[in-house]
Amino acid sequence: MTVLEGQPQPVQRMSLGAGWRRAWRTGDWWRHLGLGGFLFFMFLPFIITIIISFKDIPQFDHYPFTVTFPLHPDNYLEAWRIVSRYILNSIITSGTSVIGMVVLAAIAAWAFARYPFPGRELFFFGVLALLMVPGELTLIPAFLLVKDLGLLNTRWVLIAPYIAGGQVFAIFILRQFFEALPGEMFEAARIDGANELQVFRHIGIPLSQSILGVVAIMHVLSTWNDVIWPLVTLRSNELMTLTIGLYAFRTAWYTIWGPLMAGYVIASIPLIILFAFTSRLFVEGLSSGAIKM
Amino acid sequence: MTTEEIRAPASSATMADLRAPRERQATLGQRIYRYRFVYLMLVPTFALLLTFNYYPAFMGLYRAFFKWDIGLQPEFLGLGNFEKLFIKDDTFIKSLRHVSLLTSWRVISAVTFPFIVAELIFNLRSNVHKYTYRVLTILPAVVPGIVILLLWQFIYDGTHGLLNAFLEGVGLEDWQQPWLGSPKTALYAVTFMGFPWVGGVTVLIYLAGLQGISDEVIDSSLVDGCSGLRRIFSIDIPLILGQFKLIIVLAVIGGLQGWVAVFVMTAGGPGTASMVPGLWMYNNAFLWNKMGYASAIGMFLFVLIMGLTIINVKFVKTGDY
Repeated sequence: MTVLEGQPQPVQRMSLGAGWRRAWRTGDWWRHLGLGGFLFFMFLPFIITIIISFKDIPQFDHYPFTVTFPLHPDNYLEAWRIVSRYILNSIITSGTSVIGMVVLAAIAAWAFARYPFPGRELFFFGVLALLMVPGELTLIPAFLLVKDLGLLNTRWVLIAPYIAGGQVFAIFILRQFFEALPGEMFEAARIDGANELQVFRHIGIPLSQSILGVVAIMHVLSTWNDVIWPLVTLRSNELMTLTIGLYAFRTAWYTIWGPLMAGYVIASIPLIILFAFTSRLFVEGLSSGAIKM
Repeated sequence: MTTEEIRAPASSATMADLRAPRERQATLGQRIYRYRFVYLMLVPTFALLLTFNYYPAFMGLYRAFFKWDIGLQPEFLGLGNFEKLFIKDDTFIKSLRHVSLLTSWRVISAVTFPFIVAELIFNLRSNVHKYTYRVLTILPAVVPGIVILLLWQFIYDGTHGLLNAFLEGVGLEDWQQPWLGSPKTALYAVTFMGFPWVGGVTVLIYLAGLQGISDEVIDSSLVDGCSGLRRIFSIDIPLILGQFKLIIVLAVIGGLQGWVAVFVMTAGGPGTASMVPGLWMYNNAFLWNKMGYASAIGMFLFVLIMGLTIINVKFVKTGDY
């Protein structure tokens, strides 16, 4: 990165101690300072959440924002009893819908990318146009639809629309990727006697694992975080997903901050675990430069 | 992608027209027959899209012109809902002002703070540091949105909140407020939450753009003595306008659709002090069963979002270098 040689460098750098001299010379010290400042404030709410999650009520009343002893890890047990059901529900909902969505979207995107069938662009436009339709327009009719279908207060009321809606963006991304795959490889497989399904399953899919992963993660994030749809379609506490479950938890436990904050921490863990395993995919997928207008 | 868009409206029927006319029918039929398994591949996708996306979308547009209360026969009103919305509904007019404030701040903060962070990371020398900072900035983005909202609700809390405790700590007790509970501050509290306004995903999108700038451009700028802030304004920003445009579109859409945050934090209150159109739609539909009226608000939001997106894509020019 020759870029950086041109950065303004402080004149007085030679007069400083050896350790600092290096930081001055590279010109990076103030960048670390700036980034550190931003990160401090970005993480501050989470740090305080963790601190409070170990407090009982008197500890919070006297010293709300500093670490107090003894710690109260039992807050986590209490919160787990309430939140665990919601987490399980969210895992079932997001998990089922992401599998269904990726399978259907991959098949459809493959069709759009590799076969010049009559009406291809028209059908594709029919998918793309839905990117322009905001949830506000469809919320009410969709609610009345699932009500008429008798799906209210079942798991399917979330899963089916999530599969349907998630496909739109996924097909858009996957088609571009499938089209860019080298066609010679598929020709070679066909010559060797593979049928269309085998070409897709044994060559197309393995080559596309990373992009399928990115699409899947984005779908999990968006369904996991959805508030309004589960709020209007689910009534029973047994089926509530994490978002509305936490919302109900907060309303019921307001001012009992220790277990509440422990609940927030527990609620964040599944996605952090997912992220820990997929961060490379995630960071590189977003950094690939393909995302612009 | 642009070529796809240009090709998109051209259905194969028009392509078939270009062929020898006498062969057209047979050829098209044969081709459809030949690709019959492809249509089969698309059946599940379109069955779901038609049911859960197309049908509700058209129904939403259609019912916006009706008085439509649950349990009653729909009654055609023409533009009556819209007339009521813009002439008689003071809360709706107020909510438009609120949402423009929310959206403006969202756009302003999305083009400044994450870009600053992206520049800071981009100009670091060590690749290890770069990667570490990228992961650290994206990490808060995986904390569930509802947790962030509930945390900010706690930060603004009148009696236990972090913000009031901070004000007390620095001797500004007079400024203490029930931030979300006072009509004077509720809207601003909702608008300015999320300090320091650095969205990890946004940072990564900017970074991707910066990394895409070719080394030659940067090297020659250095030869010409262009560096530091000068380089950011004359080279970096013009060259990643595509990313800026995307971020602005996303921020506008996010701002207009961002009523979930208001719903969780204040429910539009106190009174209607922080009401926004999306939440007003929700209230009309799910609290008062006025489905037709709510659909009219939904249609208005749809037209507004689409219009703003088209303006942004068409008239904010992206330089191609």
